[in-house]
Amino acid sequence: MTARARRSWGVITRVLSHKGALLSVLFLALMILTSLLARWILPFDALTQDYASILQAPGKVHWLGTDELGRDILARVVFGARTSLLTAAGAVTIAALVGVPIGLVAGFFGGWRDMLLMRFVDVLLSLPGILFAMALIAVLGRSQMAALVAVGITGIPSFARITRAQVLSLRKRDFVTAVEALGGSSGYNMFRTVLPNSWSPILVQVVILSSVAILIEASLAFLGIGIPPPTPSWGEMLRTGKSFLHDSPTYAVFPGLVLTFTILSLDTLGRTLGRVLEDRHEIADTPGTTP
Amino acid sequence: MIGFILRRLLQLLPVLLIASTGIWAMIYAVPGSPVAAMVGENATVEQIQEVTVRLGLDRPVHVQYASWLVNAVQGDFGLSIQNREPVRNLIAQRIPATLQLGLAATLVGLLLGIPVAVISALKPGSFVDRMLSGWSALALGVPTFWLGILLILLFAVQLRWLPSASNYVSILESPWQALRNILLPALTLGVYVSGIFARFLRASLLGELKADYVRTARSKGLPERDVVGRHVMRNALLPFVTIVGLMMANFIGGTVVTESVFTYPGLGRLLIQAISTRDYPLIQGCILFILVVFVLINLLVDVLYAYIDPRIDYG
Repeated sequence: MTARARRSWGVITRVLSHKGALLSVLFLALMILTSLLARWILPFDALTQDYASILQAPGKVHWLGTDELGRDILARVVFGARTSLLTAAGAVTIAALVGVPIGLVAGFFGGWRDMLLMRFVDVLLSLPGILFAMALIAVLGRSQMAALVAVGITGIPSFARITRAQVLSLRKRDFVTAVEALGGSSGYNMFRTVLPNSWSPILVQVVILSSVAILIEASLAFLGIGIPPPTPSWGEMLRTGKSFLHDSPTYAVFPGLVLTFTILSLDTLGRTLGRVLEDRHEIADTPGTTP
Repeated sequence: MIGFILRRLLQLLPVLLIASTGIWAMIYAVPGSPVAAMVGENATVEQIQEVTVRLGLDRPVHVQYASWLVNAVQGDFGLSIQNREPVRNLIAQRIPATLQLGLAATLVGLLLGIPVAVISALKPGSFVDRMLSGWSALALGVPTFWLGILLILLFAVQLRWLPSASNYVSILESPWQALRNILLPALTLGVYVSGIFARFLRASLLGELKADYVRTARSKGLPERDVVGRHVMRNALLPFVTIVGLMMANFIGGTVVTESVFTYPGLGRLLIQAISTRDYPLIQGCILFILVVFVLINLLVDVLYAYIDPRIDYG
């Protein structure tokens, strides 16, 4: 094993030694696995309508019951996981691809670039995230892409800020100024020297933002302006389920339960990862152990 | 102090200018024509022309921007496309409802959050602390709309104690009816903020409990109740004011989801209705109004904090 692989392995085992984080990983793995294998392990798919059996309570045929069009709720919850996870992955990617370079440039150069970029970030941050997403959807119309971009943009400020803070703490360190003194270009220095040493807080942010992204996506869907039907989405299911609280009380319970577990799992995982990586840095920073 | 406030106000100007320009430009970013989106597919040429003129979209762009900004500064966002009422009036009608919900939710949040924070901070690491921290995590993790649905299921559908849809009744006019209507939405939002309050106040209390003055107070034999109640609490509540203020600022726009769950007639639902009917003047008005209030409350919190904390130098 290379030194890098050994270090990653050490982080993974230490994260998993926390009970909460282990449970979270198990839950997320189970969810990802079932949503990938859904086609083969579930008796129903998420779109087939059956008007002979609408709004059924949980039972032997439909384990979690059926919705107002006779579609299997279990299948819709499982396929809804795909929607949530894909939106989260896409949105976090957008946020990181824009936010990390902003933070990198702002922190590395300082001066007017810093002023300008961070002002832009402040403006983004001055709007409550969901409001910004709503404004964007008002412009772009309701589509999967609009939801993805809207959620993604709300994540830009946190990536920019975290990267900037990390860069500022590294900027005057010897290994960075050395590259500068040896004539390394700013671009090389930023992306090859500073960025590789900033990964851990960014990684933590990726996990935590995934949970935020899933929540915002579900909220938008609940408000009726998220990913358009018939794509199964937990938020959308809660929205329709809410209209049938009297006829089918369990309809709105299951999607919410899975949504809550997903958000809690990602949040727990992110926080544990953050604590483990922080500890590791403290150890690495003590004199004598730095390579 | 006056200088500090003025300087902070000046710092706000670029933020507000950029944001308002963005909000204004929104209408031009709509794919196709915003007019077509508003009047619908079956509109006649005359209808399109009428809306174009009414929105002033036939004028040069810089003239449109200047007049929009001048009007917006005066609180005039034009007429709503849907019901042709001034956007300003539509927004004004909704403010009391959102205000009442926001205040009620803050109250619930404080009532739930402060005891949780104090109890767990006094015995950090104990079983009670872990349970209460779990509660805070749960309060933050459960999506408000799902919690709202669960509360409706329990109190409106099963027990039939409370209405499942909440109307706005002023607490001053009919306290009992107002309470019945506001209880579930306020609880839904309040549980969420109680998680934030508890986490923050607990950390703040733990920080203060480590301070030297606490050791001094203890070593001179002051009972623990007085150490916490008279010394620690006062100092820990100082930064806490900021968080409470920020949450209230968030409520101006952040009650959207909760209002939607309970079909509560607040500002957030107005915005959602505006978005689904593509009523652009109303959307612009709502967002700009929410943004300005949000930014101003943030400023107010900063000023208040500087005022009550003698350590902050605002000279």
